[in-house]
Amino acid sequence: MAKRTCIFFISLLVIFSGRALSQDTVTVPLHIRAGYDISSPVIKLVSHDLISYGVVASADMNESFAVSAGLRYTSFSTSEYSYDFSSRGISFVAGADYNFMKPKTAQGKYYAGIGLRYGISVYSEEAPRIIYSNPWGTGETSVPLSHHLGHYLEVTPGVRTELFPGLTIGWNLYMQLLISSGAGRDLKPVWMPGYGDATAGMTTGAEYYISVSIPYKKIRVIIKPKPVETEEEGEGGSGYITPASGSLSGGRR
Amino acid sequence: MTVLIGSLSCTVQTCYDDTDPLMNTLLLASGTGAEAKADSLRVIGFSETSDTVFVSQRSVSSFSVPLDPGNDISAFRIVINGTSDTVVIRYTRRPHLVAPECGYTILSSITSLRSTHNIIDTIIINSKSVDLNGEKNLHLFY
Repeated sequence: MAKRTCIFFISLLVIFSGRALSQDTVTVPLHIRAGYDISSPVIKLVSHDLISYGVVASADMNESFAVSAGLRYTSFSTSEYSYDFSSRGISFVAGADYNFMKPKTAQGKYYAGIGLRYGISVYSEEAPRIIYSNPWGTGETSVPLSHHLGHYLEVTPGVRTELFPGLTIGWNLYMQLLISSGAGRDLKPVWMPGYGDATAGMTTGAEYYISVSIPYKKIRVIIKPKPVETEEEGEGGSGYITPASGSLSGGRR
Repeated sequence: MTVLIGSLSCTVQTCYDDTDPLMNTLLLASGTGAEAKADSLRVIGFSETSDTVFVSQRSVSSFSVPLDPGNDISAFRIVINGTSDTVVIRYTRRPHLVAPECGYTILSSITSLRSTHNIIDTIIINSKSVDLNGEKNLHLFY
């Protein structure tokens, strides 16, 4: 009898210890990236008005979130029939990116997600020639060189992949929302560095960048949470308890 | 940015915005302040070089004229029902970017005005800003 009781308890122990070990994990390397916007030379070929050079950097915080930042130098000048305009400055964006891909699929190499960034633009603008005309006649005036600080928000859906270990390439579309051009209502710049046409409340564009990627840490990510028995289990129901929140979930955490 | 620059460089940009700021004036009946239609109205802007007829209409209760963007002062001869008055308006000017495809225009802010009183009883500034919003700037009582 004592032997049977002992076997029964050992069996229970094996069953429960087996369940405790059933959660699956994947090791994800976290990276620091530094890159260059390679669309700049294309821009220079397409438009002689605009010169723009940008660098980007990001650091993975975990398997989904990364902090990101970018720095861009822009010089713009145009000569239209009724005005000449030029602006020049540096823009800086900082924010976070969220990767929608599952850690097992992304493996720390691939990204398909969305970023939200806050941007500031430190720039100067001038319009040395403005021609105006109305029934009184035609005249000429100018706007002298002035310095401003602009603010904008940037939403950036994008993709990125590893070309080979240590080198990634990616596309980002961006939709920018102007908070302030810093130049008042009358002298919004024709081109605000980092943003574009400041008379528009929203601008869109894209950047194409190549980055050096350095792994700095590896983390283990639970991809299949530990199953726990629920009250309904006896009737065929079951659920998973997430380690982070403790709430019941049927899919990826 | 590439997309944006591509579109900028490959298409001719057309201006769809209003670029002419006008000073809008409402004609009112002296005493009652009710809207008063003039049987005939002529508004002539005069400068050192030439006179320009801006308005020549019948049965009107308001009119709109541009201010001289090259000077801080504009003078108008306003002829209501055959009787003429002169109105001199002083203002400050500032350039305003309408849109990259439209260029700049000159907005004004009225600082003072004077008039003769042959038919005009009073003329007052209702809104100083002569811009693209179409506000009524002057109330002319006659």
